[in-house]
Amino acid sequence: MYPRPFEYRAVTTVDEALRVLHEVEDGKVLAGGQSLLPLMKLRLASPGVLVDISGIPDLSYIRPQGENAVEIGSLTTHDTVAHSALLQERCPILPAAARGIADQQIRNRGTIGGSSCHADPASDLPPTLLALDAEFSIVGPKGSRTVPAKEFFVDLFETQVQRDEILHHIQVPTLGPQWGWSYTKFNRREGDYPIVGVAILVRLDSHGRRLEEVRIGLAAVNPTPCRARAAERFLQGQEISPAILKEAAHRSTEGLHPGSDMHGSSQYRRDMVQVFVRRGLEEAVTRARLAGGNP
Amino acid sequence: MSAARTSPRSVAVPAPAEGTGWVGKSIPTKESVRFTTGHGSYLDDVKLEGTAHIALVHSPYAHARIRSIDVKEASAMPGVLAVYTGEDIRKLVDPFMQLAPPPADKVLDYPLAVEKVRFVGEPVAVVVARDRYLAADAAEMVQVDYDVLPPVMDAESAASPSAPILHEAIGTNRVWDGVYEYGDVDGAFAQADLVIQEKFHYHRFNSAPLELNAALASFDRRTGELTLYTNNVMPMFCMPLVASSLRLPSDRIRVIVPDVGGSFGNKINSFPYMVLVSVLSMQLGRPVKWTELRSEFLAAGTHGNERTFQIEAAVRKDGTLLGLRGEAFDDTGAYARYEPAGAVIWAQVAFSMYRHKNLRLHFHSVFTNKCPVGPNRGYSRAQHLFLYERIMDRIADRLGLDRGEVRERNFVRADEMPYQAPNGTVLDGGDYARALHRVQEMLDLPSLRAQQKALRARGRYLGVGIAAALDSAGNNFAQVRVINPHLPFSGNSESARVWMDMMGRVHVAMGPTNQGQGHETMASQIVAHELGLNPEDVHALPGFDSHSHPYTGHSGAYASRTAVMGGGALLGAARELRRRIQVIAAHLLKTAPEDILLEKGEARSRRTGNALPLSVIGGVALGNSLELPLDMDTNLSVTYVYRPPFRIPSHVDKKGNFTLTYSYQVHGAVVEVDPETGKVHLRRYVAVDDCGNMINPAIVEGQVIGAAVHGIEAALLCEAKYGADGQLLASSFTDYLCATSLDVPPVEVEHFITPSTAGPMGVRGVGEGGGTALPALAAAVEDALSPFGVTFQDSHLTPERIQSAMRGRAPTVPSPP
Repeated sequence: MYPRPFEYRAVTTVDEALRVLHEVEDGKVLAGGQSLLPLMKLRLASPGVLVDISGIPDLSYIRPQGENAVEIGSLTTHDTVAHSALLQERCPILPAAARGIADQQIRNRGTIGGSSCHADPASDLPPTLLALDAEFSIVGPKGSRTVPAKEFFVDLFETQVQRDEILHHIQVPTLGPQWGWSYTKFNRREGDYPIVGVAILVRLDSHGRRLEEVRIGLAAVNPTPCRARAAERFLQGQEISPAILKEAAHRSTEGLHPGSDMHGSSQYRRDMVQVFVRRGLEEAVTRARLAGGNP
Repeated sequence: MSAARTSPRSVAVPAPAEGTGWVGKSIPTKESVRFTTGHGSYLDDVKLEGTAHIALVHSPYAHARIRSIDVKEASAMPGVLAVYTGEDIRKLVDPFMQLAPPPADKVLDYPLAVEKVRFVGEPVAVVVARDRYLAADAAEMVQVDYDVLPPVMDAESAASPSAPILHEAIGTNRVWDGVYEYGDVDGAFAQADLVIQEKFHYHRFNSAPLELNAALASFDRRTGELTLYTNNVMPMFCMPLVASSLRLPSDRIRVIVPDVGGSFGNKINSFPYMVLVSVLSMQLGRPVKWTELRSEFLAAGTHGNERTFQIEAAVRKDGTLLGLRGEAFDDTGAYARYEPAGAVIWAQVAFSMYRHKNLRLHFHSVFTNKCPVGPNRGYSRAQHLFLYERIMDRIADRLGLDRGEVRERNFVRADEMPYQAPNGTVLDGGDYARALHRVQEMLDLPSLRAQQKALRARGRYLGVGIAAALDSAGNNFAQVRVINPHLPFSGNSESARVWMDMMGRVHVAMGPTNQGQGHETMASQIVAHELGLNPEDVHALPGFDSHSHPYTGHSGAYASRTAVMGGGALLGAARELRRRIQVIAAHLLKTAPEDILLEKGEARSRRTGNALPLSVIGGVALGNSLELPLDMDTNLSVTYVYRPPFRIPSHVDKKGNFTLTYSYQVHGAVVEVDPETGKVHLRRYVAVDDCGNMINPAIVEGQVIGAAVHGIEAALLCEAKYGADGQLLASSFTDYLCATSLDVPPVEVEHFITPSTAGPMGVRGVGEGGGTALPALAAAVEDALSPFGVTFQDSHLTPERIQSAMRGRAPTVPSPP
């Protein structure tokens, strides 16, 4: 494939990246290139200047932030997230979601920051970060700011990160032992973008009977990754039963307007949201009970 | 080139004994070393000084009139050498010859759209530039003004008189239609205990060769000769089309085919692009190259024939099929570039593997606003075989019989072989029922049934599907006279040249193009076997070059023909060379030619044990020839043309031997279907194949597995789907889903060896697999979901299609095993 002409600038520091983005009119940040380059090859994206930040050494890290959080540099690859012992211990849903992204070659190059900023509603990480109530730290010419996940994803392929800014890191919480989780993606072929992706976090009471808190992130069913708030509200404080989970699954499609494509009509996607929210809740509850010693 | 010898009859040669010689051995393919180490030379690896590159401007509409094309801005872009529209090209070339009889022979088909566009992706203009990037930039600047017309998106409505017409010159969307009638069909229906009515749809898909279509033309203004590099796999058959369109005598065109990265039939239809780069090179006086993009291949390459059947089956209550009658609508897309050949090629397998005598099929080939169709692994037969397998399942289900038992009752029997079907085709051996039994054994059907029952009790749905199909090979071209009696094609033939140089080294070249099937290896094996050499020591020329390779008008890689047609030619040439070597060696060793044995690179007298290395034979014959009598033939180069004993079918009764050999396959699939999502998980896949004697069993196994996987992905993942507005939805690999190793379990293969009664060396062609996986998977999914009572009419099973069929249905009590 043959992209339109573009200028390429490789930068090695965050300051340099910000300076170049400020100078040029039509700049676009390139991280792992696993989404942007295919779009450029199809001429669906044609930035004038590609600002390659992949050479900035201090944006690739995963480190504890006290006891209650983990900070992930935006250039951390999916493969690194997938195999991080720290995340596995503190926030295991994120490595689980990262393991299912595309294929090994893409996981070796694609980054958590790139995927978040690209904001493809069908990506695996954005709904997971939404369910985690992650925080996004953005740096720009006016300094840095932190945006909560629920505000980060603005529209289709659009986030809070402005043209002259870059995403610096993402902070995710440590999930205590009372939490259970699941990430389920449904696709026709292994490794594809999901027809439906469901990230679920549940917090149970100490007996493992009641849902104290539920968060459901959905991929591929709206222009942005989104939360199934109606289902979350419905489940909060409920005693766990098959009927309750089924009803929550039913409510999880409230406010959704999934598009149709050749792999699934809007109606089919709504049906699949219900199937995978229910299954995801069951899996998350099972995991929470095992972790909490209430199998 | 030496005098050609032709054989009027099949070379009936027994298979070599087990363990002797090279034919029948699974030696590693010679050419795979260069392919897997990056040393293959594909078309884009051919670099010529001063080459210009092209980018095509494609139609965004399925059906529209071209009002105007403005190329001013594009022409002025940097690096642009020229921009041509369809109108420009029309003045330089003649339209392509059409196979169809009147009125569809009046269709005007050019390399670029003229006056109208008829499918999304059809090229309307071409930019020639110094490099591929500049060409692509300029192509975006070509402004085309269209009057959009309503598209015609399915064959049945396209055939109706009220449909919009694609080609006004012929006043109809019908490419061809005709009735095939064999036996006493109405009599069969009068005797039937049961008549089953069904509608089936075989969906559109193609193949995914790693290398896409490409062509490089270089016109030499000094000699007036055009050198055309192409990866078309049937180049010499296409040559009359190309030469007449270019208005060039064929002696001015040299065709070179380098290594080819897969075709599966799809590359046969690349001739419009071959003509396009050729005429551009002639115009500009420099080499012009085209390499296709994947999105171009998907939209405007070749799709497989999409076919709808409305069918009735007459059945006796014991499950015997008495007759079939109905209509077939073949959606051939916007142009007939190989069509309507598909309207007869299915008749190679008109009765599939079954004994019934009565068939009436009204076959309609119809233009629609989609990509033109053409050969795609199992070309036109897989569709028909799908129909038979689904009918067998329906018969069993309606009568409450076992699906395997119904097939067995209807199969042609081993003791009836060779069996002449009612349309004159001859099945050349095999034991279909035994292959079915073996697949049932491999699957361990009783334990699968027990497992199925246990899982159903837990709400899980396991299913098994078994299907059988013919894999016909080596077609008789005369079958196209059934659709147009005036076509100047018949028979089939292939040419091979085997020669020894003065150092005693042996070389071989032949007509079939190698697209990765191991031709160099199989040719080396046959020649080594006949001349007492090691295959490593036989030099098989790679690729194809009309200046160095022998060929006939039938030459090429299609219809699974190389083992049979190429094999016959190689055998004939090698044996004649052997005879000539024996004569020379006998003179030098003072013995009789019959006494000379070729073994281990030597010519040895059986009687005396005296031997000469082949280097001495070659040296004497070609360089020291006064050692031999002047009347002794010292020509060590033999070209041999193999011709099987075909006859010309009658276009009146449509009977004849349409194909030489019939491999057959029985496949078994075990699936689990998620009843909530409709997703099919393929748990196990087994295949039994019988292609007679195998030249290289490892190559056969690769072909059988490849064909199975191709069918599996077609059934579950791949569909060249269009929207109602004529847009191609599967326009890139994002949506055209090829299977990966994660989607398909290992295919377990066993071979039966029933030597062919027709093919040389007892060999049958193999490689297309008859699309067996499609009916096997449809059957397996239905079996899994039998408690829900759902059936499927389509060859493509998407999760949504399955899920929506089940919506609102509850499982009945577990069905008996």
